[in-house]
Amino acid sequence: MRGCHWLCRGLSALLMLCSMAVGGKSQEVITLGVYAYRLDTLIYERYQPLADYLSRQTGMQVKLRALSQDDMNRALAANRIDFFLTNPSHFLVIRSERSLTGVLATLLKQGQGETTGSIGGVILTRSERDDINTLQDLEGKSIATPGLTYLGGYQAQALELLAAGVDIHRHNRMVYLGNHDRVIRSVLTGDTEVGFIRTGIYEELVEETPGLRGELKIINQQRLKGFPFVASTRLYPEWPLVSLPHVDSGTVRRVASALLALEPDHPAAQAAGLAGFSPPADYQSVEELTRTLRMPPYDKVPRVTWLDVLHQYRGWVVTIAVLFILLVITSLWLSRKKRQLAMEGRRLRALIGSWPQPMLMIRDGVLSDCNRAAMDLVGYPSAASLLGKSLAAFSPHSQPDGAPSLQKAENLYHRVVCGEVAESEWVFLRPDGSRVWVSMTLAPVYEREAGTPAVLCSWHDITRQQFAEEQQRLALSVFKNAREAIFITDAQGAVMDINDAYSHITGREHEEAIGNLPPMPVDEGSAIFGVASRHGVWSGEFATRRVDGRAVVLNLSLSSVVDEQGELSHFVGVFSDITRQKEIEKQLRIMAHYDALTNLPNRVLFSDRLQQSVAQARRQGYQIAVVYIDLDQFKPVNDAFGHQAGDALLVEVAWRMRATLREEDTLARLGGDEFAAIVVNVPDEEQLDTLLSRLLSVIAEPAWVANHSVEVSASLGYTLYSPGDEIDGDQLLRQADQAMYQAKRQGKNRCCRFQES
Amino acid sequence: MHRRRFLQLMTAVLAATSLGGCSPSEPLRIGVHPWIGYESLYLAEEFGWLPDRLQLVKQHAASHSIEGLIAGDLDAAALTLDEALRVRGAGVPVRIVTVTDVSVGADVLLVRPGIEHLTDLPGRRVAVELDAVSGVMLFAVLDAAGLGTDDISVVDMPVNEHAEAWRRGIIDASVNYEPEASRLEAMGAVRLFDSSQLPETIFDVLVVTEEAAESRPEAIRALVRAHFLGLQHMVRNLHDSVYRIASRQDISPALVRQSMATVMLPELSANHRYLARNGRLNLVANQLEIVLLREGLMKARSDVRPVADASFLPRSLP
Repeated sequence: MRGCHWLCRGLSALLMLCSMAVGGKSQEVITLGVYAYRLDTLIYERYQPLADYLSRQTGMQVKLRALSQDDMNRALAANRIDFFLTNPSHFLVIRSERSLTGVLATLLKQGQGETTGSIGGVILTRSERDDINTLQDLEGKSIATPGLTYLGGYQAQALELLAAGVDIHRHNRMVYLGNHDRVIRSVLTGDTEVGFIRTGIYEELVEETPGLRGELKIINQQRLKGFPFVASTRLYPEWPLVSLPHVDSGTVRRVASALLALEPDHPAAQAAGLAGFSPPADYQSVEELTRTLRMPPYDKVPRVTWLDVLHQYRGWVVTIAVLFILLVITSLWLSRKKRQLAMEGRRLRALIGSWPQPMLMIRDGVLSDCNRAAMDLVGYPSAASLLGKSLAAFSPHSQPDGAPSLQKAENLYHRVVCGEVAESEWVFLRPDGSRVWVSMTLAPVYEREAGTPAVLCSWHDITRQQFAEEQQRLALSVFKNAREAIFITDAQGAVMDINDAYSHITGREHEEAIGNLPPMPVDEGSAIFGVASRHGVWSGEFATRRVDGRAVVLNLSLSSVVDEQGELSHFVGVFSDITRQKEIEKQLRIMAHYDALTNLPNRVLFSDRLQQSVAQARRQGYQIAVVYIDLDQFKPVNDAFGHQAGDALLVEVAWRMRATLREEDTLARLGGDEFAAIVVNVPDEEQLDTLLSRLLSVIAEPAWVANHSVEVSASLGYTLYSPGDEIDGDQLLRQADQAMYQAKRQGKNRCCRFQES
Repeated sequence: MHRRRFLQLMTAVLAATSLGGCSPSEPLRIGVHPWIGYESLYLAEEFGWLPDRLQLVKQHAASHSIEGLIAGDLDAAALTLDEALRVRGAGVPVRIVTVTDVSVGADVLLVRPGIEHLTDLPGRRVAVELDAVSGVMLFAVLDAAGLGTDDISVVDMPVNEHAEAWRRGIIDASVNYEPEASRLEAMGAVRLFDSSQLPETIFDVLVVTEEAAESRPEAIRALVRAHFLGLQHMVRNLHDSVYRIASRQDISPALVRQSMATVMLPELSANHRYLARNGRLNLVANQLEIVLLREGLMKARSDVRPVADASFLPRSLP
């Protein structure tokens, strides 16, 4: 508290000293700067009374200084003036350069008995200038003006001309003369064609020099009732009187109240041509004007921020942003699509490349692309060795149909290029010399809108099919041309197909045979199908009849055919006509068992029958007798009459013996003049003796041979077999043989029984 | 200053039915007559802010604009709110696209000295032009005083005859407006009530026909914009505009300043506020319609749609 007290005391002492210093200079001096818009002598003359009035009213010494705009700027910069009165445009420039307390009052002018607080511009030219009447006529003319920062002397006119489409700043020669008097003089002397001055000046000059009225004319004169001056432009607030911040507020208040209190009829006002001062006007319209003209202080192009642009062109910005976003989205979408397309392409290429079906692309007659399968098919190791060549390059000279490969390939290519889809079989020659059959399909591919299409070519390897077809053809040929009859039936045995041999053997035509049963053994019938289906095959011989009734023997082999599921589907039968073989066989059999001369069984058949008879006798329990017969004195007959006579005799004797023996007995010629007989079912020896005696007697009867009557006898030996005897046929025959020898020895033409010795 | 006379409309309505509107190639025709609130349009024309497709049809009084609207000769007009409603009542659908001014003292009730309160009015003879905005003013005054038309003796006569009637002592009070008001005041009449006591009630507006609003919205937007440009000059550049208005109306600049003081010139944002769907204008229009119907000054309420349309107002101005 004590410290503060001392500080206050010190400060009040300092203030006292200061006020004493000011007081020492007697009266306070304030400087009023007035812009010299006309000659400064004139300004001093007019405004000194105002300065004096203010001095009186405020009790301070008001010093007047008439200054050009540049001088005033300098004085302001040095703070050498306290108040100033200037035109609104200049005021705006000053205000933009330094801080001001503000406008104290706005000047009111007086003229023609009217008061106005408005100022405008006047556009003058000499009266004789008939070519200058409107604002548009000013284009290209030389113009005198006091300077750029004159509201009524430049800017007001410039705006009107700009609105009328005349940009004087660019298209006119401007002459800056510093004040209005010089402008008038310049126009009057003809140095410039047009002059710009502020409102009020013209009236002042006319008052001073009445002759001027006829020499000058006003362009674009406005009709403004109640405005005391001629004007060529719209109007703006009059000059402001401004105080500077360094002036203390008390002084400002005193000056302001003195200004506002100034009456129009006061000598000070009268001298300056004023009607006094009004409360400060709104200078926004002047700001607007300088802004439009881009004049100081608004000559700098306003710094446009992004926000301003956004605000001003919101619609455009939004539209462009939306378009940009759409563009981005579209390009993203497109690039994604492109990637997908590329991937699709790769996948497709990989698919085609690895596709097992050979595929190729032909452009301008030569291969331009092919897949792995195609290379493998024609046996080339790489695509490079294939591409760039025509089809004919790896084909044999001519195709199976006889056409030269080159010509055929060209024909196909031409057809496909014309829009057809062509199919053809084709043979390729592999480097290793083997041939590949393919079924080739060629189709046009329109890669571009116009022009020759490429040709897509696909191959299908038909080498195996081709082989199979060959086999089939061969099989068919076999079927057709076989000597054996071949037939195929369904599972039920009905004939489905036959070959020509079938018809030939059976006598049935194709139509008759189909649907019926094939020829079959009578006794077994369709059972053979069962056998064949069970065992897979049946074969056998059988006799049957042809359609024309002739008997034939057939040798049939019937096979069953099963399908993939193992189910019986068909039978295939092969048969041949073996009738002739059978007959030959029969004759051979006869030749083997019978004597060709006498047609009696031979030794072979005899021993066979003997065995059978022995077996039968053993079963039946009866006796049999085996008789050995040898002709006596046969040789002499043979020798005397020849072999034919001997043979005839043998036949005669044999016939007689055969007729003598019973049916069930067997007589055989063992060779030469030896015969043997089996007499079955011998009840007793007496009957046998009777039979044998009768034999001897029929033999001994004379026979007529070779025109001679011949008599022979026979020696008979026999043996008996009784059931239970352990003896075979051969032994029996030997026993009979021995007995026959016994009879020979006993004198021939007799009969001996085998005696066990 | 004959803006407020309103003529009987029915004959005009009959005439209108036989006439079509303007074709789009023709300029939009706007009826306008001298009134401080409409000066913006004259200024816009003078400074070249009125596009070629707009044509000001300069009338001497509002009645001509009304007849023009009804006859189909005009597409738009500057009128008072009650006039706009009466045009609607006469069967020509119109929309209000701009409020040009609001009366704040332009309309007055002048009385003989001795009448000091509104409550002194019953039984007095009050001169009024019922077919004009004065009628609306009278009803507003009576409303404010809690009175009805039966409580007073209404003398219906054109405003320009009030001075003579006053001089002859026929009337005790007059509802009128400048400059008749000044003349009566000079004759000793006392200002008892004026429109400044009825804030935001008496509007001057720009109306457009429904047909023009539908078919030529761009022209109407240009018209509204031109009004605001003129208004901007008028308000901001008062040092210039007073002389121009004075020239046109052939009065002194001082009188222009005086009459400008009796109106409020709403700028763009105020217009947005007034013309909003639930804004002041629709509200006052509804109340006014009820009064006009009640007093028999309007035959029928033909259009139930809101009369104010803010869609033609510009978003911003330079």
